[in-house]
Amino acid sequence: MRKYVCVRIVRMDNVDIGLFEHDRNNTLYFYLLNADEQIYMRYGGRDGRSPDSYLNLDSLALAAEKGLELHKQYQAGTLAKVARPKPDSPRNYPMLVERTFKSGACVECHLIGDFQNLHREKDGTLDKLIHLFRSPDIRTLGIELDVPKGLIVKEVRGPAQVAGMQAGDRIAKWEGDIIWTFADLQHRYDKVPRTAKTTSLTVERGGAFKDLTISLPTRWWLTDTRYRQSSIEPRSYFEDRALTAEEKSKAGLPADGFASAVTYVSTMASSVGSHELKTGDIIVAVDGKVRDEHANSASLYITLYKTPGDTGTLEVLRDGKRISMPLKTIRMSFRK
Amino acid sequence: MKFLAAVLLLSFSAIAQQKPVDDDIVWLDNYQAALKEARATGKPIFLEFRCEP
Repeated sequence: MRKYVCVRIVRMDNVDIGLFEHDRNNTLYFYLLNADEQIYMRYGGRDGRSPDSYLNLDSLALAAEKGLELHKQYQAGTLAKVARPKPDSPRNYPMLVERTFKSGACVECHLIGDFQNLHREKDGTLDKLIHLFRSPDIRTLGIELDVPKGLIVKEVRGPAQVAGMQAGDRIAKWEGDIIWTFADLQHRYDKVPRTAKTTSLTVERGGAFKDLTISLPTRWWLTDTRYRQSSIEPRSYFEDRALTAEEKSKAGLPADGFASAVTYVSTMASSVGSHELKTGDIIVAVDGKVRDEHANSASLYITLYKTPGDTGTLEVLRDGKRISMPLKTIRMSFRK
Repeated sequence: MKFLAAVLLLSFSAIAQQKPVDDDIVWLDNYQAALKEARATGKPIFLEFRCEP
């Protein structure tokens, strides 16, 4: 590390968030770059399991070593220059300025993401599939990395296996873009349009490169967002799970519907008058809708289609009886 | 959580010693200063974003 100039930034006030653009719900995030601000690679990234599922001192050492190699290439003029992304600043978001700069409060990373989304909501540019469900999980594609070894694949199943990926492969490119670390991979994967049906990767195997096309499964972008719950709105204060095909069949519900079983109800639900759901309830419809091209559960449907403050009606099966109840969604305010 | 624990331990240790160091690595806290030093030394930059410990 002594071959690097090391700098640690704990406040985002003056950071170019256009250049240093990443999922703001990361505890740690690193960039390896040069004095001309060309980024060689990122290091970091996480998933719903843990903040450090993909952080490892061995893979960090590999990344640092590669960064030095790329720096030598840059100095020798043999590394392609990359166009600098459009600059951006936390000060460009008036609601964020009001919440942080004006009161002297810390401009926390997650607040930048949250307020960018609030402004997108206001401007009508919020795309929930992209902006709420950031950092899709490669395990949904069947890719399990050997984390200490960077982008070496440890196990393959599902769509990645069907595409021809093998254990021991090194993932080298995502849709043509060179990637060196899991953070590079996750950042690039996040750029895949949510309507895409396939994505292409290049792997290195035995010194040769091989292009693979992976068929993206339904809801490939869907992740466990509980660790970023302060960034997900609207709030409806319950958790659920999609019913299995067998459960739907038994209850006489459509196989392609988003009926779901309530698994948890927060005490906040009654405090704020959001709904009167109970654990074990089966939600069969929201505002009369029983199916949707994106949602596989009632909570996901509400997240995708309701704006904080919206009301609606839930159709619920409770103790074998079908009942209706009002729903009121809430905008969380205490962290914003 | 081992990685986070290791990084946090290094930071707390540095705070306890009142020195901006992890082992003998000097950590700058100013990005512009890092750019300046990188230009002067020809070194690449290792930039860390994190919440204040």
